[in-house]
Amino acid sequence: MNARTLRALAPLIAVALALIVPLAVSDRFLLKVFTFCGINALVVVGLALLFGYAGQVSLGHAAFMGLGAYTSAYCTVELGWPWLLGFVAAGVVAALGGLILAIPSLRLKGYYLAMATLGFGLLMSLAFIQAEPITGGVDGFSGIPFPSIGPVEFRSASSLYWLVWGAVGIAVLVAHNITSLRPGRAMRALHGSELGAQACGVDIVGVKVRTFVVSALMAGLAGALYAGVVGFISPSLFTLTASITFIAMTIVGGTSSLAGPILAAVALTLVQYSDALIPGLPRETAQTIQSYQEDIYGLAIVLIVIFAPRGLAGLWKRRSAGNEAS
Amino acid sequence: MTLLQVRNVTRRFGGLTAVDDVSFDVYEGTVKALIGPNGAGKSTLFNALTGFDRPDEGSVVFEGEELVGRKPREVVRVGLARTFQNTQLFEEMTAGENVMVGSQARQRRGFTTAMLRLPNAVAEDREAREDASRLLRLIGIEEWIDVPAADLPAGIRRLVEIARALATRPRLLLLDEPAAGLNATETRELVQTLFRVRDSGITVVIVEHDMGLVMEVSDEIVVLDRGAKIAEGPPRMIQKDPAVIAAYLGGEVDDDV
Amino acid sequence: MSEFLQFLVAGLKNGSIYALIALGFTIVYAATGAINFAQGEFFMLGGMLCVSFTDLGMPLPVAAVAAIAATAAIGAAFELLAVRPIAGDSPLRIIMVTIGGAVVLRQLALHFFGPDERALAPFTEGASLKAFGVAVELQTLWIWGLTALAVVALALLYRKTAFGRAMRATAIRRDAARLVGINAGMMVTVAFALAAGLGALAGVAVAPLTQTAFGVGAAIGVKGFAAAILGGIGNPITAVAGGLLLGLLESFAAGYFDPAYKDGVALVVLLVVLFVAPQGLLAKAGRVKV
Ligand SMILES: Nc1ncnc2c1ncn2[C@@H]1O[C@H](COP(=O)(O)OP(=O)(O)OP(=O)(O)O)[C@@H](O)[C@H]1O
Ligand SMILES: [Mg+2]
Repeated sequence: MNARTLRALAPLIAVALALIVPLAVSDRFLLKVFTFCGINALVVVGLALLFGYAGQVSLGHAAFMGLGAYTSAYCTVELGWPWLLGFVAAGVVAALGGLILAIPSLRLKGYYLAMATLGFGLLMSLAFIQAEPITGGVDGFSGIPFPSIGPVEFRSASSLYWLVWGAVGIAVLVAHNITSLRPGRAMRALHGSELGAQACGVDIVGVKVRTFVVSALMAGLAGALYAGVVGFISPSLFTLTASITFIAMTIVGGTSSLAGPILAAVALTLVQYSDALIPGLPRETAQTIQSYQEDIYGLAIVLIVIFAPRGLAGLWKRRSAGNEAS
Repeated sequence: MTLLQVRNVTRRFGGLTAVDDVSFDVYEGTVKALIGPNGAGKSTLFNALTGFDRPDEGSVVFEGEELVGRKPREVVRVGLARTFQNTQLFEEMTAGENVMVGSQARQRRGFTTAMLRLPNAVAEDREAREDASRLLRLIGIEEWIDVPAADLPAGIRRLVEIARALATRPRLLLLDEPAAGLNATETRELVQTLFRVRDSGITVVIVEHDMGLVMEVSDEIVVLDRGAKIAEGPPRMIQKDPAVIAAYLGGEVDDDV
Repeated sequence: MSEFLQFLVAGLKNGSIYALIALGFTIVYAATGAINFAQGEFFMLGGMLCVSFTDLGMPLPVAAVAAIAATAAIGAAFELLAVRPIAGDSPLRIIMVTIGGAVVLRQLALHFFGPDERALAPFTEGASLKAFGVAVELQTLWIWGLTALAVVALALLYRKTAFGRAMRATAIRRDAARLVGINAGMMVTVAFALAAGLGALAGVAVAPLTQTAFGVGAAIGVKGFAAAILGGIGNPITAVAGGLLLGLLESFAAGYFDPAYKDGVALVVLLVVLFVAPQGLLAKAGRVKV
């Protein structure tokens, strides 16, 4: 099979795989693990747009996820809103957060943008702890209801799986539309050369702000889904460590690609749950793997950046280009 | 007809006056060369004309519209496209994709229509794609269309950047040292391209050190030295101008090609 | 009044620590034009190594020197292994490599030293000094003394030695420095080692007062960067001033408003400076290059 047909078939294969998982997996915990994979994938799709395509770094993406999670929790638990409304509110609040960070960051590039997003992320993690009346402080927020859309409630492990991966599917579709058309080229142009992009009439301010907002929106929606799936959130989920995990997934996945980062998100999420994945794995072994999980993320970042700066997607493209040439 | 009027443009960097009270006109359908020794202020002037830099004094009028104070993006939309002395290609994108970005100057569809994949966004995309391959064919480099910019030879890179500028459908094309780094054959091709561009009705302003090329393509030449205009006129006159000869002999004669 | 003085002392104490970290950022920035996102981890390593060395039975001064030297060596290795392969590349890659490297250093510390908080004995036993109604712990005096010593030593190194002049030349023009026979790569390695050593010194000096643990690096790194950029990145004098100023701001905000604000202050300062005057607020006052 040559690379071109494989590329055409890839989305179908991905959808088929996603559909098979809940049928093949009977273990509820394992299904939940795959649901978490989807939640992380949703964040990473947004980060791939911002970082992988537009070249704008965000070291605070967990903050947007947290904004979404807390908004949805507050709206459903404290205000008694229907879940869907809280979900929408989560997206709106996270997108506003993205806008608020993006506008003053416009002048910043490289190191400074990275520091600004890092500082923003840390500030938000402090805020999640300090804003106790809204967030429940360090203890977090519990008793968050399951997601529901109208009369349909998503309680079972498989329905939650569908919900999350459905959202991922929609996000990928939207992201694919963006990246394959004019805005995507503007984003990649921005990444390549801001001067060149300006000379082509690209509205670099507009592209940066919009990409930031879309990216924050996706992270916020992922946060809302997490809150609904688990029913409990706390500040320890939305820390710098989480932001770096998302960055690791995006980098390993590769630049200018959606499929790569999604695959990486799934793979690196599974690292956390090796015990669920490999039945009969001794507890200690699983724990050891878990204690090295962040080492894996850190090393993955370093190795990929040094040896394969375009990530898995880059390796794949190079290989398929080689195949076509021969 | 005068397409571009440059009037008393001055740009200072601290104590250095990089462009010093420069004025000239560019007539529609002609090729104007801007020459001068290294550091004469040619690129600085280009930046002032195209919105990448704001002159301290002076005005730049294109078809009756003042350009000083406009953003680069607005200047492109008015009809001035440029290339850079250090090519500013998008390295991870193919030659074709690079040229497609040029089409964005005259496209209007944004994020939302793209997100929903509305028909007009798709149509615009197809148009940009067709335009890109047409332009690469016009310049004679269509075989490079699918090659990432990072893998292109230097000569082709210059031509891709010109194609990208043409994709904005400019009235006036400003080229900053397009022949730098080209070999003799590539320079010949560039000259052919310049004639084709001019014949298609696009006015050209070119900064270039290769005097052979300048003499061949330009209708008029402006000479800058230490920021100031020291001569202006047709190539034959400039060649004989004592001030120009003095400026070039005083500095080093730069003949990279 | 005594309350004010107490806040002042606390602010200058923490400020000295931030100044040392900020100097680390400054040295690496001056030598490479890069920001090392792992700078805070050297602070952590200094403290943790010193605690471990004393646990092994080393006397404190020996342990402290050994910890600083070991961290400096780790800093040099970090540069050679992680940063060197992509030297001069886009900031994006350097950010990522140093962030990934920071995670690796932190995790290594976790595996070696365990997850617990550790504390060091004070350098000198004894009651706090009391004057004007203010109590100053002896360790605070140590922190001030060591910071001052480090700053003076650094100034001498940069101004009086051939090596320091080479460093300054490298900072100004890397290509030109190479022409006159300076080994720029070597300079960069030394810059990382120096920066790591300064971070470790800060970590050692403060360990008796605030406990240390494998995870403290990121937060202190951000504070040190906030101090560095408050002063205007690349300038050692304003970096120290920025550190002290940040310490004071924190201390007064925590003292007069709410202790809960303490950690937020540096972050707010960081964001405000980045958004309003990324070239630094103090930089204009004293334009001195390294
Ligand atoms: N941003 C800047 N800040 C300070 N000085 C500048 C700046 N840009 C250009 N200069 C100075 O202005 C003068 C003119 O530079 P410019 O690049 O316009 O020359 P040029 O004619 O294009 O030369 P070349 O043929 O070498 O490209 C030079 O002395 C240069 O050092
Ligand atoms: Mg020039």
